[in-house]
Amino acid sequence: MAKRILIVDDSASVRQVAGMALTRAGYEVVEAVDGEDGVSKLTGKLHLIISDVNMPRLDGIGFLKAVKANSSYKFTPVIMLTTEAGEDKKNEGRAAGAKAWIIKPFQPQTLIDAVAKLVLA
Amino acid sequence: MNAIEESLPIFAKQIDNARRQSEEAILALSTRFRGIVTSLDAAVAASEKGSGDGGRDLVGAMEDGKRQLLKVVEALEAVRSGRAALIEEIRLLAAHTRELGDMAQEVELIAFKTNMLSLNAAIEAAHADGDVGRGFAVVAQEVRQLSVESRETGKTIGRKISVISDALRHIVGVNEQAVAAEDAAVKDSEMRIASVLGHFGGMTERLLHSAENFRNESEVIKDAVMDSMVQLQFQDRVGQILSHVVGSLGDLAATAGASDDSGATEAGGGGASDYMAKLVRTYTTDEQRRIHDGTAAVAVAPQAAEFF
Repeated sequence: MAKRILIVDDSASVRQVAGMALTRAGYEVVEAVDGEDGVSKLTGKLHLIISDVNMPRLDGIGFLKAVKANSSYKFTPVIMLTTEAGEDKKNEGRAAGAKAWIIKPFQPQTLIDAVAKLVLA
Repeated sequence: MNAIEESLPIFAKQIDNARRQSEEAILALSTRFRGIVTSLDAAVAASEKGSGDGGRDLVGAMEDGKRQLLKVVEALEAVRSGRAALIEEIRLLAAHTRELGDMAQEVELIAFKTNMLSLNAAIEAAHADGDVGRGFAVVAQEVRQLSVESRETGKTIGRKISVISDALRHIVGVNEQAVAAEDAAVKDSEMRIASVLGHFGGMTERLLHSAENFRNESEVIKDAVMDSMVQLQFQDRVGQILSHVVGSLGDLAATAGASDDSGATEAGGGGASDYMAKLVRTYTTDEQRRIHDGTAAVAVAPQAAEFF
């Protein structure tokens, strides 16, 4: 059975690239258009979550905190996939419980390798 | 309201409109690219299925066909060998018939000698007198009759053996012709099977080669399309930068308005420094910070993941 991954990003083209790469790698992908939508998609078994940082309504850090506050998903690994390269924001993500930080633009293989590493861990 | 205050919201709307149009176009392009990759995946899967798991099924079918056809040749060869063995048996039988012919001739010779003996007995009977001579003459006559019958029987046996020998020679001749024909048929079958298998083998190889080329080309195209999709990620960065510009223009208009209200002639003082501080604080990309600092913006290349 394919492992389920939630992708939260307000950019449809990023969701497409990431979604296609992961689907081709054998994962089942669930998409959310921002942090709030992401919170509503926290249902069923999720093996990993990928989230953007800068998003309308609820941003990535806020969404990450919501994930870690949810007892069902507090141990689900989260990868932040963002244009944000500032150390302050990165430290904020690390403190909130993110497992990895990937800066856009990204190579699909980089994302697949990171997902594979964290899903197995 | 001065020209700056009036124009800034308009600039913001124009930029936002351009950003939205760009986003929609890039999304449409990305969707098309995704469709191309999905179609290529389906075409490659169909190609693999058509040539049977990368061609292994096709090669297996060819090998199976070859084995089946070679069994047909083996069966023909077995029939030919059986017939050749039969010819040998008939040849042995023919040798026995020659011996029987010789024995029939010996029977004739014995009959001839017996006849000669009966003639001599008849002569001796004529020399004898009375009843003894007559009795001896009767016995001599009976022996002569037996020798004549024996000779006829010997000749009949010889003729029958001759007929059988002729029949056996004919059978051997016919069978030898059949063996030669079967030999030629086996060789012809082997040649034709080799030719057909060679033909189909060539076709299979060309088909597999063609399917492999198609898959390789498809992979190259897919990689190129995927790479193009990766390049389209610029839209996400550009969108964020433009959104920031739009937001900042709104803030600038508000700051300019506040300055007017307070009687200042330009955006300056505390309003300006707060505005600039917020501008820096809300940047999300390195190139925004570099441009702000007056450093040349450099293209951001994909980087490795950083694990915490």
